[in-house]
Amino acid sequence: MRILLAEDDTMLGDGLRAGLRQLGFQVDWVRDGQAAEREITNGDYQAAVLDLGLPLKDGLDVLQALRSKKNNTPVLVLTARDAVPDRIKGLDLGADDYVLKPVDLCELGARLRSLVRRSHGQTQDLLTCGDLQLNPSARQVALGGQWVTLSTREFDLLHVLMLAVGRVLSREQLEQQLYSWGYEVESNAVEVHIHHLRKKLRPELIQTVRGVGYTLLQPKAESGF
Amino acid sequence: MTRLPRLSSLQARLLSLLVLLVTLVWLSAAVLTWFDTSDELDELLDGHLAQSAALLVAQQGKNLPERHGDDDAPPLEDAPSLHKYAPRVAFQVFHEGALVLRSANAGSTPMSHKVDGFSTVKLADQKQWRVFGAQGRETDVQVFVGEQVKSRDSILWAVLKGVLMPLMYALPLLAVVGWLAVRQGLAPLRHLSSALAHRQPQALEPVTLPDVPSEIQPVVQSLNALFERIARMMASERRFTADAAHELRTPIAAIRMQAQVALAAGEDTATREHALAYTLAGCDRATHLVEQLLTLSRLEASSANAPTGTVNVSAVTRRVAADLALAALGRAQDLVLQADAPCPIAADDTLTSVLVRNLLDNAMRYSPPCAHVQAAVRCTDTQVVLQVDDSGPGLSEADMTHLGERFFRVLGTEQTGSGLGWSIVRRIATAYQAQVTVQRSSQLGGLCVTVRWPRKRPAETVSS
Repeated sequence: MRILLAEDDTMLGDGLRAGLRQLGFQVDWVRDGQAAEREITNGDYQAAVLDLGLPLKDGLDVLQALRSKKNNTPVLVLTARDAVPDRIKGLDLGADDYVLKPVDLCELGARLRSLVRRSHGQTQDLLTCGDLQLNPSARQVALGGQWVTLSTREFDLLHVLMLAVGRVLSREQLEQQLYSWGYEVESNAVEVHIHHLRKKLRPELIQTVRGVGYTLLQPKAESGF
Repeated sequence: MTRLPRLSSLQARLLSLLVLLVTLVWLSAAVLTWFDTSDELDELLDGHLAQSAALLVAQQGKNLPERHGDDDAPPLEDAPSLHKYAPRVAFQVFHEGALVLRSANAGSTPMSHKVDGFSTVKLADQKQWRVFGAQGRETDVQVFVGEQVKSRDSILWAVLKGVLMPLMYALPLLAVVGWLAVRQGLAPLRHLSSALAHRQPQALEPVTLPDVPSEIQPVVQSLNALFERIARMMASERRFTADAAHELRTPIAAIRMQAQVALAAGEDTATREHALAYTLAGCDRATHLVEQLLTLSRLEASSANAPTGTVNVSAVTRRVAADLALAALGRAQDLVLQADAPCPIAADDTLTSVLVRNLLDNAMRYSPPCAHVQAAVRCTDTQVVLQVDDSGPGLSEADMTHLGERFFRVLGTEQTGSGLGWSIVRRIATAYQAQVTVQRSSQLGGLCVTVRWPRKRPAETVSS
């Protein structure tokens, strides 16, 4: 799951990036407000962690600009400004969550997962598609009640597909979700991971839409059982 | 209006003054009229008396009734009735000492002793009469014409009534109209007070009223200036709280985050070591912040301490530069010192070191690696000047004005200062009457900070 981190403090930013990566997020880190606005507008991020006291453009201004451009990327504001009017302003301007520093890393991860889940219209942490179950916080996948062991990339790929169940995702979209900046993406990486997923799960689970991309189909009825 | 306004009200005061003044003016007009009319009336009526007397004298010369020796002449029965005014006029005509003609209300004795001219006498009816005596050419005819003084007074009263009566009607009317006018005139004041009364206690936006008269404008302006000052103060306090929260929380958040990363790193030694190194750096940063905060709060607590000792700024600067030289080497920065001549100021040694250290530390902290930092101490007869130049990025005009606000840091710098250094520098400088100026460095292109202390005189040095 690809996240944009906007934080100007070197030490904290470094810690957040490392910590969120440990939790399985792909993290891109920018240090000023203008870059944050540009990247969130152009990039395909599942969510953004936004500090408020950013140089060049204040975090709240970034948020306002994004929302006025109809950009609905979930934004978690992470700030030291704890005054109630600040929180109200942040939430009113379109923040999806408002978290005070210092924050527990695991809590931050959970809040981000919750934001992403809700932005896809899901209310439960456990994602299901037929007899396929995916638990984002525990990073576990079960098929028909049996645990399936997946690599990090395979898990991330399946997670993205399950969040967008029924929709077709292009190879570029999938690549963007799998790799943060600074990683070399091999040209057929997505195909390789899809191939492995089909092998470990069921071949017909992930459908290829020729020339467009891949999709995970919601089973219509459980007539086969 | 059920109740008269108290005189503490501006409206009541204005109104009563107005009414009082009008009454006074009117009354003095009445008094003037009284005297003026009285004079004119006397002149006119005296003229009439004289004329009547002259007429009687002239008439008497032509046809005198033959009644000699008869002192008790009857009143002139067929004299034309002078309607209601008749009892108030009287006349007597004497011929060669004998009364020949008199009005009904005139006695038989001459009305006045003055035979020629005007006199005011009291007659038998106990009333004051104005009498004019006139004699014929041969002094055989003596005529007295009299008129009651009271009748003149009633004319005067009638005139006066004509002047005063309108006042009786006009005064209440004037009071009502004046009340309305004053009320109208004071409307802006009322609007102002109601605008102030209806404000929220926290509202600090300026008062705006349509058509503020020039008399109230200063009040409104002063009020707005006050509101603005308070708003600025509150904004600065809010900013301080927000910035303090940010500055205090960010290092702690960073330490916590890095420690969690280190804990979760497991076998990933590189990540763990990196995170632990950052954890330590975060602790150093928090320590620095706490030290700066403590310095500042100690400074603010000991606001009234007068400097007692003598400090040589050159020596202090050399010492501080020696302390910082290692850090400068670590960043490959070039720290140049020009501090040779002894430059004494009246100050505390420790505080002066804190000031110089903050200046040099700032210059190095906010300049990139390999930058030049130059400190120069020089003195004139009256001043000791410390100038710190650097070749860093400098500051924008707007940022320069914010320097010295607690926790102000220029955003976007890689460095992790506390934002308190400038407050400390300013605070120490003020304690020793030193002036601090910030400008673009003409020598190195970055920032140039100049501190000017008053130089301590040799005589003072000896005496202390």
